[in-house]
Amino acid sequence: MSPVTIVLVYQSLLGIYGDRGNATVLSKRLTWRGIDARVVIVEPGEELPADGQVYLLGGGEDLAQTTAVRELTKDGNLFRALDAGAAVLAVCAGYQICGTTFTIGERDEVVPGLGILDVETRRGDVRAVGEILYRWTKPDGTTSLVTGFENHGGFTRLGADARPLGVVEKGIGNGYDHSEGAQQGKVVGTYPHGPVLARNPELADHVLELALGYSLDPLPRPAIDVLRRQRIAAVSGQPERPER
Amino acid sequence: MPADLTIPRSPHRLPALVRARLAVALAVGSMAGAASRVAGRGSGASIRGQLMMRIAPDALANLLPGRTIASVSGTNGKTTTTHLLAAAVKAAVGADRVVTNADGANLHYGIASALAVAPGRDVAILETDERVVPDVVRLGRPAVLVLLNFSRDQMDRNHEIKSLGRGWRDALSRAGADGPVVIANADDPLVTWAARSATKVVWVDTATSWTQDASLCPECGTMLTRTNGRWACPTGDLVQPEATWRVDGDAVVDPDGTRWELGLKVPGAFNVSNGACALAAAAELGIDPEAAIRGMRTITSPAGRYATAHFGSTTARLLLAKNPAGWAEALPLTTSGTVVLAIDSAAADGRDVSWLWDVEYEQLAGRHVVATGPRAQDLSVRLLYAEVEHSVVPDLAVAVAGHTDPVDVVATYTPFQRLRKLGGLT
Ligand SMILES: [Zn+2]
Repeated sequence: MSPVTIVLVYQSLLGIYGDRGNATVLSKRLTWRGIDARVVIVEPGEELPADGQVYLLGGGEDLAQTTAVRELTKDGNLFRALDAGAAVLAVCAGYQICGTTFTIGERDEVVPGLGILDVETRRGDVRAVGEILYRWTKPDGTTSLVTGFENHGGFTRLGADARPLGVVEKGIGNGYDHSEGAQQGKVVGTYPHGPVLARNPELADHVLELALGYSLDPLPRPAIDVLRRQRIAAVSGQPERPER
Repeated sequence: MPADLTIPRSPHRLPALVRARLAVALAVGSMAGAASRVAGRGSGASIRGQLMMRIAPDALANLLPGRTIASVSGTNGKTTTTHLLAAAVKAAVGADRVVTNADGANLHYGIASALAVAPGRDVAILETDERVVPDVVRLGRPAVLVLLNFSRDQMDRNHEIKSLGRGWRDALSRAGADGPVVIANADDPLVTWAARSATKVVWVDTATSWTQDASLCPECGTMLTRTNGRWACPTGDLVQPEATWRVDGDAVVDPDGTRWELGLKVPGAFNVSNGACALAAAAELGIDPEAAIRGMRTITSPAGRYATAHFGSTTARLLLAKNPAGWAEALPLTTSGTVVLAIDSAAADGRDVSWLWDVEYEQLAGRHVVATGPRAQDLSVRLLYAEVEHSVVPDLAVAVAGHTDPVDVVATYTPFQRLRKLGGLT
């Protein structure tokens, strides 16, 4: 069987917050289970593989966002891969560019996104910088806490086709309400980087299961449980998500 | 106009009122500084400077003029480069004419504090925080400004590194013909973009290999291309400048083509790059390279970097790494079988430890790592995924104790300072 291909999309543009770590986490979680996996790093100007199983988009600055949208649209293989059943995890700026529109620059110029998530991003009234904790509703209806660090100036509003990933307990998240992130089909967008999958193995396995179409065996790693407890405890002193 | 250090200048005599306010500030600040050292909080100089800036907010504007100033900035290497340049200048003109903020206190108040206690010293070699460069250029009219590099650091505070570069660029174009001669790292696109607005630039090819932070043209946003180690914007609006100074292995080649073996006591290719910038800056100050290098070779452990400390029976070498570019330099310098890595996320370290995933800890496979500091567990998970064998010892003092063989310790800023204290180096 050919290895599961994890595509790190435009690392030098969309990877300023350690988001490459999400690729490391996904590939290790497969190989530790005896499933062959490989990470393919693609830079702008290079063609994206169309047959990957997971595509990762990370954080980046304004200019990087518009460049990424332009290059991905020109390339087209991300859309082909989605049609073929691939999953996308998009974080922070990567999440914003998956939407229909977002704003850039001092003058809040509205620019089109990739349109693979029914969300719109506009400049928020505060910059969200700090630890974030949200309660993620899993596909089976149970919930799990997601911990991470958010750092973004945009607020995101969900349209009818996207559903929020979770409810914010600490931090800002999508910003306009208590929601955080969005999922639509196999596209998952979320604000925390950190990288988010390092602290949240259940979310990592959720992305893998979306891509593979079958459920994975548990993979206990006590070091990660300790880290989760520490980070969740660290934000407990933080005020509840402020009303606005 | 090139700086002429052969004729000592006299720093401006301060107006009586300013002098009186500074004296009060210094007196109050010295007490507070001593108290804070006793309490083990921060550098005394910074506390003194903070109080001084509150009592005399225009202190910097009064303390800078009348001196010949060289300012050194950039994300990584500014402390070491400042030490190298100060040593070069001292070797040429005598230590008693030179003032420098050797402890790395590089914000307004740190600089003011260093200057205030050295009223008669007419040559100032100033490590300058990236955000403070515009004020030093405006208020101090430095003769020389060394711009080393830009990389991601403390993204929780500086959201876009380009805005720092824009601050430099605007300050230099406002200063116009009165502006400094800029010693600029031509390998760094954002430094190049910022330095271009200066009236005179001396370009240094530092042979830098770190490119992760510079992928887009700062001028137009197009992807930069790299061919044969040289970067360029395909639109042609920004290309790597021809350097007159260049790093060649352990040596520096000057504009006349003369090779200078630096023979520095600080390790690593990164410090050869820093040395090249210091040497070019010294030359711009009229200092003979031979004298400059003689001075630079006296530097062994600038502000504790690369210093050997003793913790009980443990002998440890201390390395500082503040961001992915810094870790990429520091990790290959480690040679010990057991390596201690100390991670914190206090304000001075950056509150976000995501950068752990941009560091190639995989290269430590086969050695034993002791993860320590308040964010040791974050490092532990990173090492787990890097498949590096390690133990977690959150307490710094415990982590460095009891090693029979010498160990290399790599630390972020806050644990680095704590280790210097614990090891009796400050
Ligand atoms: Zn360009």
